[in-house]
Amino acid sequence: MVISKRVEFSASHICRSAQLTDAENERVYGPAANPLGHGHNYVVDVAVEGDPDPVTGMILDLKRLREILEDKVLNVYDHRLLNREVEPFDTVVPTLENIAIDIWNRVAPHIGGHARLYAVKVYETSELSVEYQGEI
Amino acid sequence: MTIRLSKRYGFAASHRLHSPALTDEENRETYGKCNNPHGHGHNYEVELTVRGTVDPVTGLVVDLALLDILAEQQFLAPFRYRNLNEEVPAFRTTVPTTENLGLEVDRRLRENWLNVFPNGGPCLEMVRIRETDRNICEISAKAEKAVLRAEEKPGT
Repeated sequence: MVISKRVEFSASHICRSAQLTDAENERVYGPAANPLGHGHNYVVDVAVEGDPDPVTGMILDLKRLREILEDKVLNVYDHRLLNREVEPFDTVVPTLENIAIDIWNRVAPHIGGHARLYAVKVYETSELSVEYQGEI
Repeated sequence: MTIRLSKRYGFAASHRLHSPALTDEENRETYGKCNNPHGHGHNYEVELTVRGTVDPVTGLVVDLALLDILAEQQFLAPFRYRNLNEEVPAFRTTVPTTENLGLEVDRRLRENWLNVFPNGGPCLEMVRIRETDRNICEISAKAEKAVLRAEEKPGT
């Protein structure tokens, strides 16, 4: 059984790879390569999998999940320039793909008990999303 | 690192649900209001889900500019502001239900996928088509194979 919780944060980023030329960066990332940055209202769906606890009837206490997401993701990401203020984006391009992977890495170690992290889905706009389920 | 990316596109089109294999009465019973002889339209949404590995240099699973071009060429430009029954050849012989429209989008994308994303690139995992918020059809890569097998049967 899977239960998911939605949280949101706003942040800015610059999509440019140090391993590509300026022309290549502009071709690959389009307007997202603007060196001055731009931002999004990101929406994150975090899904955890497990069996409900026979006593509480819950896979995971959602208050606890909310605390983990506040502490490990929102406090780190919200209203930040990801490239400058959030590791590993000083060296890794903060694409939607890499953001989903980083959120997974930050959250997964803290999900315990009956539950395990099942999927992290991040929406950059209502039209574009990425889902990561860990190393499969 | 395997990851999925979903991108949503929209187009508006008209259609009429009417099967020549059914009587007029049966068509009215089967399709209800959608059988109106004059047709009607929807704002369709098509969500494409691709699966692949993240390129270590770009941090991307798919070149979105290429995906956008493929979507534009294969179903947005051909279907946008069209009467699907009259103007899309596939729907002269099949009924343009959400299911068949999804299968047609899926078929068009798959036929041209390898030209744009050669082997080793991202694969098309799912086509999800929304006729209205309450009427949604999903075609996964697995279902696609099942449909192809079913279609092959009559010929064999």
